[in-house]
Amino acid sequence: MATQIVMDRTGDTRHNFDAKNADALLKAEERFRELTGAGFTAAVRTASGEAVVKRTLDPTADETLFFPRLVGG
Amino acid sequence: MFRQLLRNAKERLRLFLSERGRRARVLRDRLRRQPDRIDPSSRFVPGFRYGYGEREARGLELLKEWLSPEQFAQYDAKSYFEVTGCHSGKRYRINHGASMNIHELDGAGRPCVGWCFTPKGYLVAGDVMLAQKIALETDERGALAVANKFFVPTGRRNMLLHY
Repeated sequence: MATQIVMDRTGDTRHNFDAKNADALLKAEERFRELTGAGFTAAVRTASGEAVVKRTLDPTADETLFFPRLVGG
Repeated sequence: MFRQLLRNAKERLRLFLSERGRRARVLRDRLRRQPDRIDPSSRFVPGFRYGYGEREARGLELLKEWLSPEQFAQYDAKSYFEVTGCHSGKRYRINHGASMNIHELDGAGRPCVGWCFTPKGYLVAGDVMLAQKIALETDERGALAVANKFFVPTGRRNMLLHY
């Protein structure tokens, strides 16, 4: 089971999906496009624990994290 | 003699407060003119404060999951962790917090410059720190391009605040 974690003001919202299920994968891809289109950055962790930014959905990733556009504070 | 000293002190205090007030007004006006900053109205979203502690804890949990073992140990012990910028190789210290919490470190590991950037919208500290970590480790230039720089006092008195 893969998870898309979206940071928001509730803390985070998690969307679980089965990456082997074509419909679920399609929905996950759509969510990925919507979020990145809205300015979110998507990142996954490699096996070594390093964070890597993704421009397209990585179906092999266990967790994909989305955080909103950065602004000067 | 004493009265004269008191009068002088009062006058100095009055001038000091009036100068601070003027600076605060200038800063407030400047912030209002910058539309791409954190939306302050988001802090007044109805029900936002409800369950804040729970959200805060979840944010920290997520942060800890994504920290490297070294960063986790550092954060656990000192409430900050250090990251390496992917482009410059510089070290940054991310202190616990949601704004004005990033210090660039000099060669000796001392804070020399402050950087402030956060994800848009109001997020809990754990989420903010995680986004800052990923941004510096994967797109340092992009993060610093939107960030505001701030002065980090390096006097002896301030050293106590940072260590």
